Order: sequence, then C-alpha cells, then structure tokens
Amino acid sequence: MSRGLLTGALLAATMSFTAATAQVPGADQVQAVTLANGLQVIVWPDHDIPNIALFNWVHAGSRNEVPGITGLAHFFEHMMFNGTTTRPQGEFDRVLEANGARNNAFTTNDVTVYQDWLPRAALAPVFEVEADRLRNLAFEPKVIESERGVVHSERRLRVDDSYIGRLQEQVQATAFLAHPYQIPTIGWPSDIESWRIQDLKTFFATYYAPNNCTLVLVGDVEPKSAIALARQYFESIPAHAPPEPVHTQEPRQEGERRVNIEADAQTPLLQFAYHALSGSDPRQAALELLTRILTDGDASRLHRVLVEEKKLAISADSYVDRGFDPGLAWFLLTLPAGADTKQVEAVFDSEIERVRDGGVTAPELARARSQALADFWRGLATIDGKAQALGQYAVLEGGYQRLFEAPRAYESVTADDIRKLAADLLRPGNRTVGVLTAATAAAGQGVSR
Amino acid sequence: MKTLVTALLFLCSICAFAAGNGVKVPPYERVPLGNGAVVLLMERHDVPLIAFSAVLRGGAVSDPAGGSGVASLLAGLLQKGAGARDAVQFAETVASVGGQIETSVSTESISINGSFLARDQQLMVELVADLLQRPRLEQAQFDTLRARQIEFIRAAKESDLGALAPIYGESELFAGHPYGRSVDGSEASLAAIKHADLQRYYQEQVGADRLILAVAGDFKAAQLKQRISRAFSGWRKAGTALPPLPKAERVASRRVLLVDAPESVQAYFWAGNVAVAKSDPRRPSLDVTNTLFGGRFTSMLNTELRIRTGLSYSASSRFDRLLQPGHWEMSSFTQTDTTIQALDLMLATLDQLHATGLDPKMVESGKSYVQGQFPLALETSEQWAAQLATLEFYGLDRRYIDDYSQQLGTVTAADSKKVIDEVFPPSTALAIVVIGNAGAIRDGLRKYGPITEMKLADPTFAPVRTE
Repeated sequence: MSRGLLTGALLAATMSFTAATAQVPGADQVQAVTLANGLQVIVWPDHDIPNIALFNWVHAGSRNEVPGITGLAHFFEHMMFNGTTTRPQGEFDRVLEANGARNNAFTTNDVTVYQDWLPRAALAPVFEVEADRLRNLAFEPKVIESERGVVHSERRLRVDDSYIGRLQEQVQATAFLAHPYQIPTIGWPSDIESWRIQDLKTFFATYYAPNNCTLVLVGDVEPKSAIALARQYFESIPAHAPPEPVHTQEPRQEGERRVNIEADAQTPLLQFAYHALSGSDPRQAALELLTRILTDGDASRLHRVLVEEKKLAISADSYVDRGFDPGLAWFLLTLPAGADTKQVEAVFDSEIERVRDGGVTAPELARARSQALADFWRGLATIDGKAQALGQYAVLEGGYQRLFEAPRAYESVTADDIRKLAADLLRPGNRTVGVLTAATAAAGQGVSR
Repeated sequence: MKTLVTALLFLCSICAFAAGNGVKVPPYERVPLGNGAVVLLMERHDVPLIAFSAVLRGGAVSDPAGGSGVASLLAGLLQKGAGARDAVQFAETVASVGGQIETSVSTESISINGSFLARDQQLMVELVADLLQRPRLEQAQFDTLRARQIEFIRAAKESDLGALAPIYGESELFAGHPYGRSVDGSEASLAAIKHADLQRYYQEQVGADRLILAVAGDFKAAQLKQRISRAFSGWRKAGTALPPLPKAERVASRRVLLVDAPESVQAYFWAGNVAVAKSDPRRPSLDVTNTLFGGRFTSMLNTELRIRTGLSYSASSRFDRLLQPGHWEMSSFTQTDTTIQALDLMLATLDQLHATGLDPKMVESGKSYVQGQFPLALETSEQWAAQLATLEFYGLDRRYIDDYSQQLGTVTAADSKKVIDEVFPPSTALAIVVIGNAGAIRDGLRKYGPITEMKLADPTFAPVRTE
C-alpha cells in the first residue's frame, strides 16, 4: 500500500463497546481510532488520580531479528531515549521529568513498549517529544558506542551473573529450531559488540512507523481531546511500507531436547519449556487455569508436592508466553543445594502425567477461576495495569475488546478443555528440559564462565 | 466486644482529590480497640476488592540478639496453619476465593498484606484473625521453612547479587546496632534458630497492642467495623515491651567491606551513611535533592555512570527512613575491570553535589517530578491501606500526605543546599561495600580506606568481627 492512498483516509471509525463489556466499570468509555497514517490510538478514561499512563506499543521485538543483529530491538529500547535530529541526547528525559513525568520501556520477543506516567497537564509536551523521537531519531556514533556498554552491563546483570538467566537463555535457544523466538531478547554478546549504524537505520525505518504502533492512553483524560491531540502531534508522521510478516513457523517437535549446564553452583536448577499457544489462541484461558492449578500459590499441585511435601524444590513457578506466534509454557524449579536433579525431574514428570491422564478436579478448576478473576481485577486497579492489559490484548491477543471478555472466558473453560490441552501440550516430546548442576571434578560439556 | 470500641470519625473537609495539585487522603475512620489494636477503615468502591495491611510493631529490631531472622520466620509461618485449618487447608481456602495474603518482615515491623474479592469480606476477617491470634507454629512447618529460607539466600548468591549489596551494606554501616540486622537472617543465624525461639518470640513480641490493621476497599465501614471488633477485641497484648532503640552513630571516616565473589563478571558497589528519621521535617527538600542526585533517570549519578560513560546499566541513591535515623545509600555496578573507575566517578559525583549544590532550574524540575509522580503511589486500595498503616505506625497525620505537594512547591535551591550540608554525607565519610572478584579489584580498593574482607560463600552478611 502506498503512502498516498493512506493520507487523509480515516481507516476505522471510533468504536465503543457496551453490551459485552458491561461488567468492567468504565469499559464502555474506551474509544479506539486509527489515524490516517495507520497509528492506532486507544483511550480509556479513569479519573481516580490526576495522572495518565501513555504506552506506545511498537510491534517489533526479538522475533523480528536475524543472526548478526540479535538484540537490536532491545537496543532500540535504549536508543529511543538518546536524542533526535532536533533534540540532543538527554532532552527527552529532561522534558518529561521537568513536566512531572517518568518513563521506562521494555522489550519482549514480540513488542517494544515505551511507557510514560504523567500528570494530566503534561500530555501535550509529552506527545510532542514522543512524536519527535518516532519521526526524527538520531544515530550519533559516540552515543551508540556508549549505549553498547550499557546494554552489555544489562546483559551481565540479567544473564551472565545469573544462573537462572543463563539456563533460560540456553533452553529458549534450544526449544526453537526455525522460529526467531530462539533469539534471546537481550542479544548474543558478539552481536551486541558488532551492530553497525546501518543495521540500526534499517531496523528503525522498517519497524518504527506509525502504522506499526499502538498508542494506549489510560487515565485522567477525555477520549475526544486525547484523540485530537494525537492527531495534532502524530498524524503528519508518514506511514512506511508495512514490515515483511514473519512467516516462519516452528516445525512440530520430534522428541524431547535437553540442555545441561555444569556450573560452580550450589543451587541446582530445572526448567521445562513446552511449545504452547499464540496470544490470540482461544485456548489461552484454559492454559492459564492449567498453569495456575499446577503452580499458583501454596495449594497448587507442583508447589505442594515438590516444595511442601517432598521438599525437593525451594520454589516451583510457571510462565506462559502470549505473543504473535505460538510460544512456550515454562516451568521453573529452584532446588536446594545438593539435590538430585534426576529424582526431582521424575517427581515433576509424574505430576505432569497425572494432570495429562486424569485432568483436574472441579474444586481445582473453581479455585483457579477465582484466582484468575481476582487477579484480573487487581490488574485493572491502576492506570498502569489498565494500559498494560489494554495494549497486550489490542496488539497480541486479538483485540482490546477481548480484555473485557476475559472473565467470561475463564467461566467457560471446562475440566475437559484443560485435560485435552494438557494431553496436547504437556508431552515429553514437546518440551526442552534445562538442567543446571554443580560441576563435578571432570570438565563439563556445558557453558562455563 | 462492642463496648470496648471507641470510634473516631475523621471527616475530610476538602473531600477526595484536589485538582492537579496532588492527592488528598479520602475520608477514613480510626477505631482504637480497648486492647491497644488500632483499626483504620477507608471505603473505596471502584473495583470489587478489599485490601488490608496488618502491621505489627517489632520486626527485625525485636529479634533476639544473635538471632537475626526469628521475626522473618514467624512472618512466614503465620499462614502455615492457623485456627481450625492446617497449612494445606489454609492455602486452599485463600486460593479458592482468589484471595492473596503475603507476609513479610522489615527492620521495624512484620506486615501481612493482601486482598480479597469484596464478597469474601467475612472470610478475610476470619483468616487474618486466625493467622495473627491462632497460628499453629508447628515444628514440622518451622523446619521446612527455615531450610527453604537458607536455600533462598544461597540461590540469591548465584542469581541476584545486586539485591544482596544493600544487605551487606546495612550490616556494615549499622554494625552492632539493631538496624544492621539482616531482616531475613543469614545462613548461619537461621541455622541456629530453634522452634522454641520462635514460640517465645510470638508470646513476647506479638499481640494486640502491637497491631495496626488498615483496610481499604469495597465495603460498608459500619459492618466491617463490627466484624473486626468482634474478631480482635479479645486478643491479648504482647508479653514484653518493645526493645529500646538507640540512635545509630554516623560513620566519620571511610572504610571498605570487600565481599569476594570470584565467579562474578561484574562488581556491585554500595556506599552509605546514617541519615534521617521518617519524621524529619526536612522531607520535601531531602526528597527533591535525592531525586536530582540519584532518584530518577537524568539524576546526577545515572547521568555520569550510565548516560555519559556507559559504565553501568543503572546508578541510584535512596533514603531508608525509620523511627530513628535510618540511612542514605548510593549504589551501582559495572564490569570487573572498570570497578575503580566507576567507584571513583560515584564519589566524585557526590563531591560535586557538595561543591556546587543544585541550580534553581534543576530544583524546579525536581519539584515537578516528585509532585507529578506522587499520586501514582496513592491509587489503589492496597496502596491506601499501606499508607494508612504507615501514618499510624510513625505517628504522622493526614497532613503528611495532604500537604506534601504544597510543601514541595516551596523548596528552594538554598533549602536544598542546606540539606546537602546537613544530611548528605561527604565522600570521605562512608561505609563502602563491594561484591566482586577480590583478586582483580582488591589492590585498587585500598585507596578508599581500610579493607575488611569476607567471602560471598560465608554464611553471614557481616565479617566475623561484627556478628
């Protein structure tokens, strides 16, 4: 689609929802609009405090990288604060902070999200500098070199100095043969050291386009005036040719894979990553309830058996990817010093077998539903939580309206749905197992530092 | 007993939220019970949740000498079986209604925070009353929890060194003072705690006269007040008085604690000194000044260590304000071979703060920032319950919140200079802690002052001389 065709055309009318969303207070106040340049703007007024959460969801993450430029999406998360052709490095933060606003950003496999939390009076100046960095980002060689050091320091903190982070990076890289979800979001060290300015410019031109962004505003603001301001500051930024879609699909896993790291560690670790679902898959609600039954709270199955009864682990947690493409369902166990990882794995396996063969009980399902519902409300108690949830659903889970359908989605999951899903996903042949053990006298095959 | 209840209704004249000029405390009710417990109730009806914050005075400062971690273990055991429910039944009951209860310990208190759906108000009161008044404190649960807590410390030493630096730091700065106790204990102190120590602590240090119970959310205050009064009015007082809390002395020179972590690829460094108490009237000037020095992204510290030099992912400073003067600290990390360069830069930045102070334009920016962010801490029922408990705990009144924004507005560069001189330590008077590969950085650290050395693997957070 050419830029000329887009200019001036309002792609979608303002929408508001009533019937399906009546149970969330204020849900019927949400308004969404797509500007002429393709920028989607979603506004949810909430007048509890005189502040606004403004999140710009850029639809680019490590999923959009290839060997040689791994970590680049995350590097942009840093570079977007480092100056434009009209404002020197630091000016963005100085303007925000002088206007009472704080900002941050995060990068995932799928998206890079820029977050501002501001007093309502600061909306116009914040829009101005946000639009400026989307339009005019600068690429100063000296700044890039300095930021490389910062990112490397972040990598050392999160991965190199953390056994949990190191094992997780290896498991993720092993779980995917073809799909770019194999790439660690922080980037491989040799790539962090080697990006060139041209790589940055190409990535920016490809992904940092208004038609590749979703702007979410929640807080003390009227949708009409917020949308008018968004038009004023953002609509003249030209659309770009849409990025190439990621068409690689991970082939079906043909058998269990394993990663062993021998380290000079006291605390052994066990991680299990099963290929799972995309964010928009309607079975996500069932998967969430399944993982809650296994690991949410002291009454959950894995916690009770591994931590409380058999004392084989000191913690048992889970995490489920909810991205554009099918990601992983993770189970992360931290073991006490000297634990026998084989024994712990056998107990974990028997619990997974039990849920695969026997499913879950009615009280377990009811409990997981209550936990999910209460956490849903907890998430919507802040403008920050609302902006996060609205953006997550809008960008990755099939539309923001589905946020308001979540309570009903939990209600409609049956025990049979969960048993089928467990049987489908939680198979040994569908997983990668990561084991970190204390080094023995013999030299290990694994990664060492 | 209803007859023991004296209700004081605090009515808010400038109701709810003042436009644009910060947040005011919404109306709430303070209900002192006859046994010394204080109940605080704030109705908020935006989402169908009720949040509570139960705070018991005591915490790590009331741990027995040499027994760091007793209060922490007690906090963890409170919901491992209470009243008619064993540990499993208690956990199932909470989870079955989507409730959350979290227990934690800090230097001066044990906290039990949580939230439930509004429909489960009665159950929430029953569970909180049970875990405070009728915890089972079973030997088997104690053994399990103590073993896990020791393992958690070992795990943190392998995956989260940054989080450990302040624990070593406070232990070094407050050596010999109750504020220096590691709140969750050390591997060695936990291993020495016996089940009987815990039961004694519960009898002596826990009771109604130590309790502040703040509740905020979707309820009718009159009904909840009755329920809570019935559930708590019969509780006994704590067996002994709170231990006296002396003022800690500031360190007058510079010393270094080097914690050898031979496997680490970075060095994590921390420097601090004794500073101010929670009630210190210079709070607005201190907050603005610290924000500009190390409390936001463009702060002097982060500008030097991250933005300008790329030495670190993050550098920051903060106050820990307590009943008595707590501490001020600054911290960062960098790869091993730039440790001395980064530490020099951190100290030089502190020197610059003292030499030049902050210019009026910076002070204005700092004021706007603190004013603009303040409401975000006062948004949810959880936050309000915690805020009400904090006001009560420190004997502060609603003006601590209501007047803060306006007080910030009056801070000048001269006020800032005054607190820099009075409160922020000079770079020559600091307790410094560095966790890193000692073989690579030991010689470089000598110029900062006398070095005491220990190993990351040692089972305490302080060298032998202070524990």
